Amino acid sequence: MDKAYILENGIIELYLLGELSTDDELVLERLLLEDKELKDEFDSIEANFEALALENAINPPTAVKENLINSLSRDASKVIPLPKKNPYKSYLAIAASIAALIAIGSVWMYSQWNDTKEDLQIATEQNFSLSKELESLKDNLENTSEYLAVLNSADTEQYILKGNALSPSAKLVSYVNHKQKKVIVNATELPELDENHDYQMWADVEGEMINMGVISKDSQLLAMNYINNAESLNVTIEPLGGSYHPTVSRLITNVYL
Amino acid sequence: MLNQADLITNLKNKDEAALSQLYDAYAPAIYGVIIRMCKDEQHAQNILQDTFLTIWEKSHQFNPEKGKFYTWAYRIAKNKTLNFLRADKKLIQTEDLSVYKDREEAVKTDTDFLQLKGCLNQLEPHHKKALELVYFNGLTHREAHEEMNVPLGTFKSYIKQALKKLKLSYNKTMVWLLILIEMVR
Repeated sequence: MDKAYILENGIIELYLLGELSTDDELVLERLLLEDKELKDEFDSIEANFEALALENAINPPTAVKENLINSLSRDASKVIPLPKKNPYKSYLAIAASIAALIAIGSVWMYSQWNDTKEDLQIATEQNFSLSKELESLKDNLENTSEYLAVLNSADTEQYILKGNALSPSAKLVSYVNHKQKKVIVNATELPELDENHDYQMWADVEGEMINMGVISKDSQLLAMNYINNAESLNVTIEPLGGSYHPTVSRLITNVYL
Repeated sequence: MLNQADLITNLKNKDEAALSQLYDAYAPAIYGVIIRMCKDEQHAQNILQDTFLTIWEKSHQFNPEKGKFYTWAYRIAKNKTLNFLRADKKLIQTEDLSVYKDREEAVKTDTDFLQLKGCLNQLEPHHKKALELVYFNGLTHREAHEEMNVPLGTFKSYIKQALKKLKLSYNKTMVWLLILIEMVR
């Protein structure tokens, strides 16, 4: 299809009337882009076609335009249709809500369970420490009642050991019960020692010093070992934890029984 | 008033005002074509409305570089009318043929307003008839030359000569118009 053929066979008219095949239309459109003269001819025929119609125009009733514009707004409203109530969807929503509630509930219960577990552990620990405390209190009470029994006994004799020149302010009260073979001392008025030394108590039996025990730094009343046939009670300052043999040069007090 | 290129741009952007203006400018011309093809006012009005609805919905398909807005609209209207006529014919053939005949006669009594106007009437009758058949009646060249009972080649030359004469008379009209405009100024 060339220019001469197009002009000869009225191809442009056929094109404008919409009678050409799609292929021929494409060929003509391409030629129109290339050929100015052909394009001018095309424009002229097209203008005449339009003029022909304008001359023979017939006014349609106004209702047509009104209907047209109305159908546009109807179309516009169709574009955003109201969401349809889908019962299946609402069941889904309900199911999802329940699942969400259960999930939230589970998380809450899990955290509650963890809290409770912690609380229980704390309570168990407290219980344990309380029972230990109770035990020590019981021990304490036993000791104390035992001491009290000893101190209150008519058979108990009280000896006060006063410090010598090495420790003039020292004072130790000792209670000796030969019947029950008990020795209890009150060490509250012994001067404090440095952390590397302890007071230790000794019994003198026929010239030999026998260990009665280290005087604990943190008890007021404490029981010492009762030694048979002791002639005197002696207190020395010893290295921490006490010694096997008394450091006689550091004897601070003694009393004869 | 916007120029046509702007109107088309606005139409493509779904501006209802643009459609309204294009309707005012072109609906009468297109209605003139549709009603001469289907010869039934009620159906012609429906087809006209449908045509502009398609123009609205398919505005993105219109390419101004390929031709005028009118040409595009004309082709949409012509296709819709031909489709309607074909469907209508099928429908009527399955029913009573006499209905179709009666209807055609009834319509024909009132077709004076469909008479063609303007420069077409300055053409020789057979040129005018040829152009009327293809342009206003929507016939293909093949159908039209059979309708006029002349060979296809002859028919094509009728169309060509008709257009040539139309061009001359339109050019004359244009010259007169220009002179008028000059005088008014």
